[in-house]
Amino acid sequence: MTEFFKKLAGIDRRIIYLTVFLATAIPILTKKTMKIEPLPEVKKAYEYIESLPESSIVMVSIDYDAASMPELQPMLETFLHHAFRKNLKVIMLGHWALGLPLGQQALEDIAKKYNKIYGIDYVFLGYRPGVAAVIINMGKDIKSVFSSDYKYTPIDSLPIMRSVKNYKDIKLLFGLEAGAVGDAWIQYGYARYNLPIILGTTAVMTPDYYPYIQANQVISVIGGLRGAADYETLVEIPGQASIGMLAQSVIHLVIIAFIIIGNIGFLVLRRAKK
Amino acid sequence: MKKEIPLAITFISGFLLVLALFIPHKPFGNLEEIFNDWYIIVSGFTMLLGIDSLLEYNFKKIRRKEKDAPYSLVLILSFFITLIWGVTEIVRTPEHNPFSPTSTFSKYFYNSIFMPLQSTMFAILSFFIASAAYRAFRAKEFNSALLLVSAVIVMLGRIPLGQGAAPYVITVIFLVFAWYFYAESVGITETGTKLLYILVSVAFIALIYPIGWVYLKQHIPSFADWIMNVPQMAGKRGIMIGIALGGIAMSIRIILGIERTYMK
Amino acid sequence: MSNIIWTWVAAFFTLAILSFLYKDNPFYKFAEHVYVGSSAAFMVLYVWVFDAYPKLVMGFTEKVGVQRYLLVIPLILSLFILLRFVKPLSWLSVWSISFTVGMAAGLGITGLTQGFLVPQVQASILPLFVKGSTVGETILYTFNNLIIVFGTVFTILYFYFSREHKGVLGVSSKVGITILMITFGASFGYTIMARISLLIGRIYFLLHNWLRLV
Repeated sequence: MTEFFKKLAGIDRRIIYLTVFLATAIPILTKKTMKIEPLPEVKKAYEYIESLPESSIVMVSIDYDAASMPELQPMLETFLHHAFRKNLKVIMLGHWALGLPLGQQALEDIAKKYNKIYGIDYVFLGYRPGVAAVIINMGKDIKSVFSSDYKYTPIDSLPIMRSVKNYKDIKLLFGLEAGAVGDAWIQYGYARYNLPIILGTTAVMTPDYYPYIQANQVISVIGGLRGAADYETLVEIPGQASIGMLAQSVIHLVIIAFIIIGNIGFLVLRRAKK
Repeated sequence: MKKEIPLAITFISGFLLVLALFIPHKPFGNLEEIFNDWYIIVSGFTMLLGIDSLLEYNFKKIRRKEKDAPYSLVLILSFFITLIWGVTEIVRTPEHNPFSPTSTFSKYFYNSIFMPLQSTMFAILSFFIASAAYRAFRAKEFNSALLLVSAVIVMLGRIPLGQGAAPYVITVIFLVFAWYFYAESVGITETGTKLLYILVSVAFIALIYPIGWVYLKQHIPSFADWIMNVPQMAGKRGIMIGIALGGIAMSIRIILGIERTYMK
Repeated sequence: MSNIIWTWVAAFFTLAILSFLYKDNPFYKFAEHVYVGSSAAFMVLYVWVFDAYPKLVMGFTEKVGVQRYLLVIPLILSLFILLRFVKPLSWLSVWSISFTVGMAAGLGITGLTQGFLVPQVQASILPLFVKGSTVGETILYTFNNLIIVFGTVFTILYFYFSREHKGVLGVSSKVGITILMITFGASFGYTIMARISLLIGRIYFLLHNWLRLV
């Protein structure tokens, strides 16, 4: 048994990589989706958005880039479907420059499906550096930060922006977070201006936001691919997140198996040394 | 002069923001808005720092004909091709924005070159984490075992297959612990300790059914929820309060000019 | 047709990066250097498109009076940053950096205190006994509040290294580290979830968009 575990401990890492690749690819090839019971946090976020009256103005902040796209892009797309279906008006901006095209592309594609008109039903403001300074100044006057949209059209000429001066006119901020900008939204946007916030976060960031949930500084947090799949289930628009849940489940079990086998080997070899 | 003016600038800008929090009215509120606006403009230009050293370093490698010089050429060429393509789109498109969905820069360069590169760079981390889980993640003592168990419960609780798989996973884990404590007891001569180890071993076997097949089979998602909302949240809050106190202390040191490393 | 070509280009770069898993090779190095070079150029484009042009150029043309003249100050500070590339005048860039650092410090104090410290400490002040509608609920809610209150305090105490961890402090630190281990375990579980999600995204692209098997 000791020899067997010694061989197992020295296994080529490329075999591990191949196992991970196959454990991810094969479930995707089966094209199966799974029935999931949405988490309480996601249900809370969904119910809040559902409760917003028609024509409410919501703000979406693109604070991620292509590295976090598989988790956050499905969340963004589901939210846009949800918002446009409820005839909410969407203002999109971002704090991560490299992720803006992802957000804008999704906004244009999904707005077209609901026959929404740019400037009336939605607007894309773009990006300004400075994070905290941007959030604070927008709380006083959005125009002081974004005097024009992404194509340099003065925002006064856009009907959607005529009724928006600052956060008092925004019913919800939906932030898609891959880094620390979510903290900035809460620490400046909520703390100073009581801006209602729902955050969609990568799974890496999700545990960091539980203190904010417990302190009621955010309405809720939709975390990781599981959160995105839950949201897709509630909005009834199956997307990439739902397709990925079977692969996610299988690979989790594979990694748990790796941990268990690795530890059994460790204990056997430790006893053999004694 | 070279030291005093930067220190004065740091003090005035930092102190004003703190003052404006307590006195948001004129003139401090207005000054805060103006300073924030300047910060938005100036902080954008700080993104350009580092580009000159990146290009200079790679130009040097090419001049000296070093081993990796062809890749430095690739880097410099891709820099200038991207820049020229982007500038062309700024001039050509009606929006004067290369990142708008209609521009060729966004449609082809961003979607087909930049985005796959960036996302795959981070996707390969999953392979390394699996390898680390196999080779390095060891339950050497109680605390590390607790870390492992907490990780496994959260991982099982967050997947749809978790409720089905949990009994089997718990059975294997508890059998391993039971075997470990029994094997350790064999080498112990002191009767009391030996008996304790055997009892713990038997307890692990006895608990397999009630914990794995009865409780966790039904409740692993809510148990994972409890871990996230209670002990994990408490630990995270403690860590973040410590970070916040450290951040506040550092900010005060910077504003008062005690911390000057940024001036080098 | 052009869509197919660009999909193959995207697949090439994806596979080039994945080839690193077998071993370091020229394709990976090529892709890596393209990524670094293009990221740097992106930054230059972003600064112009979203900062310099709308805030400075458009600001000078659209604003009037004092507001327009005030823009000279951030313009000068921004140019000072660029002087970092000119050796004899690079000392002027310290002025701009001092401004950004001072602003960041000021924003940091206000955000961390008002936005984090006070609300989080407030949220940690919970009743140590909670009466629920059943005995089970009473035990559970009380137990939860005890863990939250004492878990937070003991975690903070663990990081207090100005005194030796003996006696009451020693016991509190031991409880604190136990809570921390649960925290790190949960974070590890979520980190695995995150990394695997990224891999799922890339493999889905290869199977769906490139090979059209799904």
